[in-house]
Amino acid sequence: MQTATATAAPGWAPVSAMRLFLRRLGVVLAAGGLVALAGFWLTPYAPGGADFLNRLSPPGRAHWFGTDQLGRDIATRILYGGLWSLGLAFIVVTVGAVFGTLVGLVASRGGRVLDYALMRTTDSFFAFPELIAAVTVAGLFGPGTFNLMLALILVSWMKFARLVRSLSLSLAQRDFITQAQLNGLPEWRILWHHYLPNIAPGVLVLWTNSWSRTILAISGLSFLGFGVQPPNAEWGAMLLDGKAHMQTAPHIMIFPGLAVLSAVLAINLVGDRLRDLLAEQHQP
Amino acid sequence: MLRLQNLSVQMGDAVLLRGISCALSRGEMLCIIGESGSGKTTLLRALQGLMPAHCDRFCFCPPGQPPVDLSGALPRGRGLRGTSWVMQDPLAALNPRRRIGASIAEGLYRDRLPPDRLKAAVTAALAEVELDAEFHDRYPAQISLGQAQRACLARALIARPALIFFDEPLSALDAMVQKQIAHRMDVLRRDRGLSYVVVTHDLGFAAAYADRILVLHKGRVAAFQDKQAFFAAPASAYARSLIGAAQALGSLTPVGAAA
Repeated sequence: MQTATATAAPGWAPVSAMRLFLRRLGVVLAAGGLVALAGFWLTPYAPGGADFLNRLSPPGRAHWFGTDQLGRDIATRILYGGLWSLGLAFIVVTVGAVFGTLVGLVASRGGRVLDYALMRTTDSFFAFPELIAAVTVAGLFGPGTFNLMLALILVSWMKFARLVRSLSLSLAQRDFITQAQLNGLPEWRILWHHYLPNIAPGVLVLWTNSWSRTILAISGLSFLGFGVQPPNAEWGAMLLDGKAHMQTAPHIMIFPGLAVLSAVLAINLVGDRLRDLLAEQHQP
Repeated sequence: MLRLQNLSVQMGDAVLLRGISCALSRGEMLCIIGESGSGKTTLLRALQGLMPAHCDRFCFCPPGQPPVDLSGALPRGRGLRGTSWVMQDPLAALNPRRRIGASIAEGLYRDRLPPDRLKAAVTAALAEVELDAEFHDRYPAQISLGQAQRACLARALIARPALIFFDEPLSALDAMVQKQIAHRMDVLRRDRGLSYVVVTHDLGFAAAYADRILVLHKGRVAAFQDKQAFFAAPASAYARSLIGAAQALGSLTPVGAAA
């Protein structure tokens, strides 16, 4: 009896492009995390520690990125501000992604009436530009971090719902789903083992994309005064602080601006690469 | 073991199948032949409860299971117990993000086996289709089309069905693999006393392996005969022209030599 064998040529253990990318990403993230941790630990300044003798001093050895109009160390504030900018956006997008994925799955699997109701609701949420929604919430409930997050979550889930619904509808036609149904798998098992693994790559790419957009939105809204309130060190709020001194001490705005730029750029680049790699993963 | 009387499938105003009657005994192989759009796949889907179908009498009595005997509308959506289904495109029938072993194990989902016994059963099923145990951990993109079709066959076999439906199981494969898998299918059928219903375009395959032949044409039965009778004296003009076409293309030796 002849047997089809599955052996890789000895000596050839090709590392998949995906694994290589994740390995490099891990190294970069670990290095960045270490530098940030060292910064938190080693900086002699507090993010809110004013030093009125040292106001608006330019970048130098004592203050690498200079000080702001209250003499606070800008480098320290950017470190702490990163927690706000990246962290808040992370929470907003993750909550939005989970909620939107649930809505999309329920809409595509829950029957025609539910689908119609959920998708028309999604459409109506799409009609709100996110800035307007945030300004409205700030106007109704007052400006503040929590209200900012609430507003951004309210307008962040729809893209996920639409994406997941369309991916799920096209998956429903696939033969392997039919096989799973005929083999008696319950709906939740089919969702978990067959739908989610095939939907996850698309959601992940949209998630990175939305994360960077939300960082911009939070910084922008904080800059406008609707979001994180001074004296908290958020990058957008720092830009707002520096606005009055733009002519005389541009470094107050340049460094937070660069922080926003590099964070958004890095996340977008990772997202693009991830999209390419996920597209070819498991494809014949 | 399987008997249909006057099965019809209607979607809206369109009648897809009408007056289909056929029968199949244990251990036999029925080949369903017909051009594209003649309703071959529709018939399989209807028998699995994936299409709204109506039948004057529907009997299915697999050994060791309570017999099914009903008339009227066939039940929808659950699949016919005691049967499994091998599809045309093996890569579409396997989840690209699920390991082969896990996909095959789904065929046994209803038995709720503990993991170690399930794994042993999957390994045994892989061996039956001449695949090594290491295919367990492969993804569909890492195996060939022929190996993927073998994996689908393993998934169909693992639940010990009495009847397996095949929807053009060989048409995506090259000639060498076609021959190997056709041979393997035949050996398994004889060893296990399985019945097969095979949709195919290949009259040569039918001539080599089938016991009975059902020809569909525009949603109706154009012939339902034993293989010898079919090739000797086709029941309709359409069936005769089908045989003539296959002979002209060389996929079938002239009548007499076939059986």
